[in-house]
Amino acid sequence: MSSPWYPDARPYGVVGSFLTPEDLLRATQRASDAGYRKMEAYSPIPVEGITQAMKWDDNLLGWITFFGGLAGACTGVLLEVWTSTQAYAHNVGGKPLISWPMFFPVLYECTILFAAFGATFGMFALNGLPKPHQPIFNAASFARASQDRFILCIEAEDPNYEEKAVVQFLEGLGAQDIESVMTTEGY
Amino acid sequence: MAQIFKPAMNTICTLSLLGGAVAPFGILFVGSRITRSPHNTKVDNPLDQPIPFSHKHHAIELAIDCRFCHTGVEKNATAGVPTTEVCMTCHSQVWTNSPNLEAIRQGWETNTPIQWNKVNTVPDFVYFDHSIHIAKGVNCNNCHGPVNKMPITWKGRDFRMMWCVECHENPQKFLYKDDSHPGQSPRAQVFNFYKKLATGAKLTPEEHELAMGEVQKIPDDKVHEGYQNMKDRKVNVNQLKDCWVCHR
Amino acid sequence: MSLKDMNKEKLVTGDWDYAGMDSQIGGVVLDPARHMEAKVPPFLAKFMPESVRSPWWVMFGIGFVFVNVLLLSITILVLTGIGVWGNNQPAGWGFDIINFVWWIGIGHAGTLISAVLLLLRQQWRNSINRFAEAMTIFAVMCAGMYPLLHTGRPWVAYWLMPYPNVLGLWPQFRSPLVWDVFAVTTYMTVSILFWYVGLVPDLATLRDRATNKFARVAYGMAALGWNGGSRAWHRYNHASIMLAGLSTPLVLSVHSIVSFDFAMSIVPGWNTTIFPPYFVAGAVFAGFAMVIALAIPIRKWYRLEDFITMKHFDWMAKVMLATGLIVAYGYAMEVFYAWYSGQPAELALLYNRGNLANTPYSWAFYALILFNIAIPAFLWSPKVRQNLKALFWISMSISVGMWFERYVIIPLSLTRDYLPSSYGYYTPTIVDFGMFAGTIGFFIFMMFLFIRYLPMINIFEMKELWHHMSHHDHKEHETVGGGKH
Repeated sequence: MSSPWYPDARPYGVVGSFLTPEDLLRATQRASDAGYRKMEAYSPIPVEGITQAMKWDDNLLGWITFFGGLAGACTGVLLEVWTSTQAYAHNVGGKPLISWPMFFPVLYECTILFAAFGATFGMFALNGLPKPHQPIFNAASFARASQDRFILCIEAEDPNYEEKAVVQFLEGLGAQDIESVMTTEGY
Repeated sequence: MAQIFKPAMNTICTLSLLGGAVAPFGILFVGSRITRSPHNTKVDNPLDQPIPFSHKHHAIELAIDCRFCHTGVEKNATAGVPTTEVCMTCHSQVWTNSPNLEAIRQGWETNTPIQWNKVNTVPDFVYFDHSIHIAKGVNCNNCHGPVNKMPITWKGRDFRMMWCVECHENPQKFLYKDDSHPGQSPRAQVFNFYKKLATGAKLTPEEHELAMGEVQKIPDDKVHEGYQNMKDRKVNVNQLKDCWVCHR
Repeated sequence: MSLKDMNKEKLVTGDWDYAGMDSQIGGVVLDPARHMEAKVPPFLAKFMPESVRSPWWVMFGIGFVFVNVLLLSITILVLTGIGVWGNNQPAGWGFDIINFVWWIGIGHAGTLISAVLLLLRQQWRNSINRFAEAMTIFAVMCAGMYPLLHTGRPWVAYWLMPYPNVLGLWPQFRSPLVWDVFAVTTYMTVSILFWYVGLVPDLATLRDRATNKFARVAYGMAALGWNGGSRAWHRYNHASIMLAGLSTPLVLSVHSIVSFDFAMSIVPGWNTTIFPPYFVAGAVFAGFAMVIALAIPIRKWYRLEDFITMKHFDWMAKVMLATGLIVAYGYAMEVFYAWYSGQPAELALLYNRGNLANTPYSWAFYALILFNIAIPAFLWSPKVRQNLKALFWISMSISVGMWFERYVIIPLSLTRDYLPSSYGYYTPTIVDFGMFAGTIGFFIFMMFLFIRYLPMINIFEMKELWHHMSHHDHKEHETVGGGKH
């Protein structure tokens, strides 16, 4: 019975495994050339050039880190200047209230700390993690995607998706363990 | 591969991340409220005393000067709690049969001091001196709250360092000046305030606030008077916030 | 092995495939039997029941015992007060700061290996970075205990942080000690982030390999649902590079700031500009010594010779040699500055360090020269660099030597400053030694827990390296240099 809470299983995509990163890269390139757009390649190690083959790029993380660092620098400066001129203006050894050379180390550490937060949490957020349950985990062969298999998934959301054609296409690329993956999730 | 987690785990993860991000602030906020609450600071909590002594009655209704009992306040670090003899100067003559005063008579006869419960105290590592504060014209009520209204004594202010520093940073806002007797010493002016209260003389708005237990603060448009006070009274503001001033 | 053969040595030896690597490295975590394989010396085996007769249990046991020594020392300290330490007038700093600086220094190799060598595209970092990073974290934990306990009231340690408090006080940002708080907490936080980011793909591997339900859930939760998608990898690589780029200036700044604790003061022997660079070099020196000292037994016990090869040891030894020379230069410069400044106090300090006959601390100075300069000079010989026993003991000597460096700097300067009337002597107490031994035990304890529950070698980076090298087998030089890709 279908309801918003218990949706019927629907196709998520078709997966096929390859043995080497080169095969995966080649397959991705071919799939991209064949007009498939909604796909993802899963691999135990990063495969160089595969995002280019998918015609996908994203440099947002660099900006997140940059603005994280900027926010850290501002936090550091504002904290130091505000505390030493407003919150607790205190004469220390006759030094000026804003002793900028001595304020540098804390500002520096704050910059690095916030930039590192940006890089780490930005990376997890952009990757949609944490997400311990994912439709792709329904694929029987997927456990090996973190070990020794290189898996290509052509997703059902692709406008050209047609299950039988995709299976044939992957067979033509020499993929193993070709499998149609179902999902019950709303996305 | 079989799913290890149910789909709901994704939501739980997201929510717990949000919760984890918000929780520290929540905990800090609640913690800061608790430390600052009267429950912890004991502000406005009247203490039980062996004798239900009323400052309101003695200092205002009977117009007894603060210094009559707190003899040390002008010269010593501590203001001093009156001895049994001081109480008996009057109470050997008036209210001699009052059951409330039984403890005084007992103390007088057995020659044992009365064990008052201390209301206002500072930690041992704080060197506090009443005399200098009075000498520069800090009113009693400024630190002790509306003593003139206390039927039984309670702690008027929390005595946190933040609170001390507030005045040590900007003393011009807190020094008391009796405009009707500007020629008198700051010390005398402080006690004039209680005379005014006792005689029902007309109070300035600042004095009224002080009598009500508010922090007496000179408004910003009059703050130049405060600076003038500080200058006249030779308050060395530059040193006032140094660590050694209170922590010797 | 001759020098020429050495250069041909590879970073991964033996015949491997992806699955083999998973089971060889990941198996240490997933298969408890792997911890029982290595033998313990017979004199110990006699006393040990069958079920715990393995080096892991021996080390874990030693660590556990000394963690208890640590707890006992801390309890005595907290219940009694700082007086149970040897600190006195004029030696307000003693074992606490010596050990703090020593531990922070040891931590530095981890960040250096994981960050600086990543930026420099040095592939030989891959097999040692994970446990060097773990070492960093545990070493910084050990270091952090000392200043916190030296405050005497560790339960209000949060006063070190800027937050709106009822005292109305804020940190005094002109003080190097406040810089230290920021530097060390940032260092700790960023090291943990970097370490965890590095762990996530390996945790996913463990999640997928684990057969035990609890392990699957635990590693699955920790892996956050990592799926190895190409977009995820793309951002992951971005994040790694950026974290490396951030950690590099961080690691240089942390020990510089630690050295400011001394260099910003006017105490004779402390107030020199050479301190920051030579503290950083000394930190790397000590850190690599600790990596080698740990890597040699662990590699043997867990049969990881193919991943941590002789080439790694050769290169780590060379890094130690280079940083050791910087440190030696630092000592020479200290002597030169003292002489060149012509300041009586500095000259007196020089006399106090060097004159073996009449001064109470000169033995420590000569111990420092012996352990830190003379013994590591053997590393010039390729034969010594290939001899694991020699390398292990030289690393130990460096660890001791770096400890003596701080011992020479701290109590000597404090007890021999400008006023002869304030001269004194510093003698550590049993609680000082208990704390020191205890933190070493804590470090060992944490390291062996880490080895038990997390992959000590970065699995996915080793696979990547192996793939890369098997791919370029015909171009031998590339696999050696690493930096040419």
